[in-house]
Amino acid sequence: MKLSGALSWTLLWLFAGAAQACVADLPGATAKKLESARYGLAYRTQPEKISVGKHFAVELALCADQGAALPESVKVDAHMPEHRHGMNYKTSVSALPGGRFRAEGLMFHMAGRWEFVFEVRAAGKTDRLTQSILVE
Amino acid sequence: MPRRLATAGFILTACVSWLVFAADAMRSLSEAEVRQILQHGPWPVAVPRDPSNRVSGNVEAVDMGARLFFDPRLSVQGGISCGTCHVPERSWTDGQKRGVALATVDRNTPSVLNQRLNRWYGLDGANDNLWSQSIRPILDERELGSSARHVAQLVRDDRDYACRYEKAFGRRPPQDDEALLVDVSKALAAYQETIVSGRTAFDDFRDALERGDQDAAGRYPVEALRGLKIFVGKGNCTICHVGPNFTNGEFHDIGVPFFLAMGKVDAGRYEGVKKLQDSKFNLLGPYNDDTARSTATSTQHVTREQRNFGEFKVPSLRNVALTAPYMHNGHYASLREVVHHYSELNEERLHADGERILKPLNLTEREAADLVSFLESLTDRDTRWRSRAPLEGPACN
Repeated sequence: MKLSGALSWTLLWLFAGAAQACVADLPGATAKKLESARYGLAYRTQPEKISVGKHFAVELALCADQGAALPESVKVDAHMPEHRHGMNYKTSVSALPGGRFRAEGLMFHMAGRWEFVFEVRAAGKTDRLTQSILVE
Repeated sequence: MPRRLATAGFILTACVSWLVFAADAMRSLSEAEVRQILQHGPWPVAVPRDPSNRVSGNVEAVDMGARLFFDPRLSVQGGISCGTCHVPERSWTDGQKRGVALATVDRNTPSVLNQRLNRWYGLDGANDNLWSQSIRPILDERELGSSARHVAQLVRDDRDYACRYEKAFGRRPPQDDEALLVDVSKALAAYQETIVSGRTAFDDFRDALERGDQDAAGRYPVEALRGLKIFVGKGNCTICHVGPNFTNGEFHDIGVPFFLAMGKVDAGRYEGVKKLQDSKFNLLGPYNDDTARSTATSTQHVTREQRNFGEFKVPSLRNVALTAPYMHNGHYASLREVVHHYSELNEERLHADGERILKPLNLTEREAADLVSFLESLTDRDTRWRSRAPLEGPACN
């Protein structure tokens, strides 16, 4: 009886935790969503279609799961895993109101598979969220 | 009668064969190949005026720039002008391995064709705009060997230039030598922006493909079509030679030796980024006429990395058949040699931390010849863009 009670509490905690995983909100149908152990992230590129050799920006929204520290800094980068190199440009990220950020200066200078890398730094730890994208 | 029948039969057979070939030309391409081919056009590309240059597109500045471009008085010793190395009849280059003006320089002379489409200027991209790129050879002691003082005095003292300056810039030539040098370079840039190549056999094929015109597509040479399929397919050429101008405008190490004299190397983009960031003529500097810095994004964000060592700018392939020799140092004399470079690529010459997808293409002789045929189909055969601007005419008053 005692064991069953502990199990119930554990299950309740797990489900409650799962239910409280945040969902980052970025208006518009084109936003893509990613999750790490502590954060939810939604992002979209501007312009939406990425053209080879053209600069673009990334707008992103972050949310922290319950109990997770608020993000202290965000880095946005990208690289080509098969080519083993990144971009020729370093992005600058500025914070916007409402847990949003805007990264400027990105450019995919070659066609092929790129991988976005979002690094969220908080409380001495870094969460790394990635997503692949094929650019023609 | 039998002879007439035979002739008619021959003509009919030829027509049917041609129609079959025309249809085959389009059918032989996969959807992915068609997508790749279409992104290389349409041509020409409409380009807005350069906001960093207040006389971009100004006809008076274009006229002044044309005169300056071919004027050897810009050099201190006289005898050397921009047109000494950028020879119109040679597709705005000089046919030399490495450029020769007052002295021999380290690199091959790039064409000034279709310059307005560039993001970076020079083989190392040390400049981010066409007017600052125009200053560089004026001041280089191996090229025009000139100075701001010399150029400014020429424009101030020459009645015709002073008059043309006033018409283009709306003021008398200033006493500030450096400011006047920059304005001279902006007139030079305005002129160079007008040096644009026309349409090619490839452009006609590409547009025919887009509108589904089998007859027009069928006029494209079969060897060039086979070469095009290699270009967008196993050659992976479109990864860097992308878009209507056949370049991504960036920098790569492709294994061409970058040694100069004993103990010296050409660091390429690695030094180019440093020169760019140190330059007071870049788009972040005081001479940019665009206060919003709307075209300065690349300059704001560019980084300098070890892998940039020995990287050089990806050239446009338009009219490439007319700009031999090739590579940053004129290492190869012909397109055939360039194709062989990629076919038999020496991977040991590539950076340890450089591009990983460059592999020898191992082309057959026919494939290599087809690839050359495709590159030749990027040539605009009209000679109008390869002629000097008419500089005669009434004096300015």
